[in-house]
Amino acid sequence: MIKYFIKRLLWTIPVMLGVLVVVFTITYFTPGDPVMTILGTGYTPERYAAMAHEFGLDKGYFGQIGSYIWNLISQGSFGKSFASNIPIAQEIAIRFPVTLKLALLSTFFVVIVGLPLGILSATKQYSAFDTSLTAVALILCAVPSFILALLSLILFGVKLRWLPISGLDTWKSWILPVATNALGGIAVLMRMTRTTMLEVIRQDYIRTARAKGLKESVVIRRHALQNCLIPVLTVIGSNLTMQLAGAIIIETIFNINGMGMYLMQGILARDYPVINGTVILIAFIVCVMNLAVDLLYALVDPRIKAQYTSGKRKAKAIRKLRSAKTEVE
Amino acid sequence: MSLLDIKGLTIHYITHQNTVRAVNDVDLSIDTGKTLGLVGETGAGKTTTALGILRLIQTPPGKIVSGEILFDGKDLLKESEHNIRMIRGNDISMIFQDPMTALNPIMRVGDQIAEVVYLHGDCTKEEAKERSLHMLETVGIRAERSTEFPHQFSGGMKQRVVIAMALACKPKLLIADEPTTALDVTIQAQVLKMINELKAVYNTSMLLITHDLGIVAETCDEVAIMYAGQIVEYGNLEHIFDNPKHPYTIGLFKSLPSLDKDVERLSPIKGLMPDPANLPTGCKFHTRCDHVCEDCKAIEPAYQEIEPGHFVRCLRVERGEI
Ligand SMILES: Nc1ncnc2c1ncn2[C@@H]1O[C@H](COP(=O)(O)OP(=O)(O)O)[C@@H](O)[C@H]1O
Ligand SMILES: [Mg+2]
Repeated sequence: MIKYFIKRLLWTIPVMLGVLVVVFTITYFTPGDPVMTILGTGYTPERYAAMAHEFGLDKGYFGQIGSYIWNLISQGSFGKSFASNIPIAQEIAIRFPVTLKLALLSTFFVVIVGLPLGILSATKQYSAFDTSLTAVALILCAVPSFILALLSLILFGVKLRWLPISGLDTWKSWILPVATNALGGIAVLMRMTRTTMLEVIRQDYIRTARAKGLKESVVIRRHALQNCLIPVLTVIGSNLTMQLAGAIIIETIFNINGMGMYLMQGILARDYPVINGTVILIAFIVCVMNLAVDLLYALVDPRIKAQYTSGKRKAKAIRKLRSAKTEVE
Repeated sequence: MSLLDIKGLTIHYITHQNTVRAVNDVDLSIDTGKTLGLVGETGAGKTTTALGILRLIQTPPGKIVSGEILFDGKDLLKESEHNIRMIRGNDISMIFQDPMTALNPIMRVGDQIAEVVYLHGDCTKEEAKERSLHMLETVGIRAERSTEFPHQFSGGMKQRVVIAMALACKPKLLIADEPTTALDVTIQAQVLKMINELKAVYNTSMLLITHDLGIVAETCDEVAIMYAGQIVEYGNLEHIFDNPKHPYTIGLFKSLPSLDKDVERLSPIKGLMPDPANLPTGCKFHTRCDHVCEDCKAIEPAYQEIEPGHFVRCLRVERGEI
């Protein structure tokens, strides 16, 4: 199990390198001259050359990507922002916790609302509750989160003045960003849970559990839920990454100073190191999330766990066999 | 008095498109300690009857339309949901057809057995655990394996686990729904022997559902032959094996290979069982019967006792014509 974990962790290295090269290459070949962006109008060729040298922009593609990777590995540095000249790692350190908190809070609500609603919907299939919930979920799945964000901003922030419309100063100001970011995820998770649950409660072992005389609530909790959780875990995992992506839009709309807004500013200002740094970090989080989901699978499903451990056992058996053989020889 | 007495049980599956009349006016009874074999081809309504006894018919689409299921003198169809749950797994337990899917894949087999013991056993968790280990050993599985998961067991062993689970609370009635159909022939005999022995030890009555007349001959005291949701013939082993009356029962025997009789070819019953959503009028078997007459197509035959304990549902037998 630990061996598997380490193997998977090591695999993230080539993946991250690939992401890094792709992101860097895209920003490198994007039309537009960053030095000109920094200097604005009216500069001398000497000033241009000095600036290009300061940011290492005179080194060519391979030189630049090489030193970028070297700096990242040796110092954990993402370079400096063209616009502000502040180290990007420093900026990210302030903003990343905000985005992570937003994403985790949204995911938390996605799980505690979406999962129970999906289960209820499945156990009361075709009831009025189920049909109306399914209809609402269908609409929520189809509406992009930025529309939801804008509409709720207008309704609760501007018209009714119940909730603040920007920043993250009080707990109240978290409500709209988290809610609008979570709603789509809730709808997706609910539908997924419902479908999975409907399939699970038709299984023979659920009938066996009922034939034991267990209460329906116990049958659902003890026998159906865990079996239903296995496919649902994937949705929850991919949801957290979706929440990170959604945060870019949500932060921009609600004027929240997180990674998303930072990335947006970077894109608008052609501040390439900022774009590179934020995208690479988000990619890293996605990698880690996938790994975490895979490990959770093994925790929930003994069949998957057995695959990992049986490999070890097999290896042990083979080793034993070999040593026995050599003894004979 | 009999332990289980089913009278006029009728179960339908009602969907938007049609109504599947799976079980129609079934009468059955089982005495304490006795085994009743319920024989019929696929789709005859055997599983539905069994699930009806435990009130485990999926509703919707299933519906118990009418009838009485007297168990120990009480009508199970009138009991509260709570009382039924107290009976399930405790007084009446069931072995399902397919052991491969009957166990929860992510729960340790020992826990699955202990669960039912703890639920009905009036004991501590440790005692339930203890009993589950004992039950595993009773069905020939080493106690150490109780912490393993179903995927680590073979089909035959899974069915043993299911049997251990079903017998853990010493039920008065065991319903075994084709307990060996999904198993290899060599394992079939073992499992069947085990069920029989344990049944004798616990003095359990049994409803054995099967389509294998050989198993019936070895195991059962009484036999009910089911066709298109109805019992067409009922009697003890001698009645059914030595003096079968219903053309369907006779047809079943003719379609079996036999060692003592020197027949050139087997003669299977011609045609197929009618669609239970669209049953024919009159006798349900008339579309396939060799002795069909005009009246058979129109008149629904009654369930008649032709000698003590031997019932037949056939117009022409009733009239003494065959
Ligand atoms: N859940 C269900 N919904 C609709 N029809 C069903 C359902 N379960 C069984 N049936 C139908 O009821 C009839 C009897 O089925 P069953 O009791 O399983 O037969 P057997 O066990 O004798 O093979 C079949 O025609 C089958 O298609
Ligand atoms: Mg069946």
